[in-house]
Amino acid sequence: MNNLIRHTSWVVLAIFLSSCSAKNISSSYYFEHKDQVEKIEESYKAIYKRSPFTLAFADRQFRIVTLDILTDSMSYIYEFEVDEPRLNDTLLKYHLPVTGVNTLIHDMLAIRCTWVNNFDYYVDEKKRSTIFLSIKPTVSHPFLSDKRYYILTFFNQPQYFDEQGRLVDKRKAKRIRKINGEIFHRITDKVCYTVSSQFR
Amino acid sequence: MNASSTLKYRTVIQRIFLIFLLSCSFYSALFADGKIEQPLVTSTREEAIQYVDNIKSLAPSVFWPKIKPDLFLQNLKLNVHDPLSIYPGRATNFCGYGALTYLMLQDDPLGYAKLLVQLYTDGKAQFGKVNFNPSDAIRAAAGGLRFKGVLDIHPAEQMWFLCLADHFKGYLNFFNNRYDLGDENTFWASVNFAKFNRMVRKLLNYDVNARGSDMIRPSVGNTYDYITEKLKTGTVVLFENNRILHKKKLEKIKLAIPTHFIVLQSLSKKDDKITMVYWDYGGRTSLELDSDFLKRIIFGISHCTKKGINE
Repeated sequence: MNNLIRHTSWVVLAIFLSSCSAKNISSSYYFEHKDQVEKIEESYKAIYKRSPFTLAFADRQFRIVTLDILTDSMSYIYEFEVDEPRLNDTLLKYHLPVTGVNTLIHDMLAIRCTWVNNFDYYVDEKKRSTIFLSIKPTVSHPFLSDKRYYILTFFNQPQYFDEQGRLVDKRKAKRIRKINGEIFHRITDKVCYTVSSQFR
Repeated sequence: MNASSTLKYRTVIQRIFLIFLLSCSFYSALFADGKIEQPLVTSTREEAIQYVDNIKSLAPSVFWPKIKPDLFLQNLKLNVHDPLSIYPGRATNFCGYGALTYLMLQDDPLGYAKLLVQLYTDGKAQFGKVNFNPSDAIRAAAGGLRFKGVLDIHPAEQMWFLCLADHFKGYLNFFNNRYDLGDENTFWASVNFAKFNRMVRKLLNYDVNARGSDMIRPSVGNTYDYITEKLKTGTVVLFENNRILHKKKLEKIKLAIPTHFIVLQSLSKKDDKITMVYWDYGGRTSLELDSDFLKRIIFGISHCTKKGINE
């Protein structure tokens, strides 16, 4: 009898875990961590204006950070350990603020943000940009799903959505706008989310 | 027929086959030495610039309904003036075609420009022995690809990459060899190592010495030394595992398969650290890595030299 109860509870737990929609979790994730993600977005945007760059974590332990520095003629990719002195030398070399970038790295670390990047996209042949934040949450994900990263996008302008809340190309043309191959959903007029199998 | 006469016939057939093989190798050696095949005359950047700059406008093409003529011309001029600008698109499988186009713009920029104009105006074109006759699905899609970064506003590149993927097929394209919307991101557009080298041989005035494969890393001794040596005599394209180079997942088990083509610009070493400068996705990238990492990511090395130039 005890065995039957034990097995049944395992099955119920498995069903519960696999039925938790990652989409619902990621939507509420934004509101629960609003201050932290917005701080990352704002500080990244401010530093990016001075000198374009991207930051990513390269390992599961969040110890190695990859820094891509984008100049007119070349992009430079470096890997550092968090708080490694060599990182600061490189930041100085490319006129990036040492304190600002280090704070950003620690803010990312605090919420397990794996990647922050500026994405270009085009509307009516005009260039627009959005900030792209990938997060690897600690919560369990559906058993058979490989979608493990919450991705938040921050637009400068209000976006258009269809009746299901999916990001679309234009107000009338109901073509779903995919970013990096993913369909995005509405959180606010300017903030969208998706759940993806890869963080970039 | 008894046993001894069967043996005699077999010996005669073997000798004929041997003579056939010997003559084949003799003729191929003759071709390789350039005694029969003359090196093709390729063009210069200046000729290509003059050609595209003389085109003031293009009429809309009935073959490519989604391509805006002014945007097409603007894109073509950009490619010729600045070959680094070639951009295979975000989340597509066009990187092999991008690397090929980059090489083409070094080898024969005028040929590239004329080919694209012919494809645009006639809906089909011939380049050397290659006949491009794109399918209706390709013609309907080109110019309309979206959410691929700057490729969105580069209709000439969209048309060209789609035509290449439509024409050249490898084993990766076996189960999906007809284009449907969105297939630029799927196996339909994939390029395996042999297919890439075949495209270079067929379209460009290059001899290709390829080492490596889609599954097994090349056995070339010291990878750094081998590539450095090859860079002295030609252009080197690397087929590498981008899942390690540009991590997209923080996973425990990483598949050791190549996924990306890059055109190597330079390779240097200082204090055990290797700096690799390469072209991909519309620009140059400089990356620091160590020897083991270099060996781990590289699966294919294509050494391209101008035809008629012996190593």
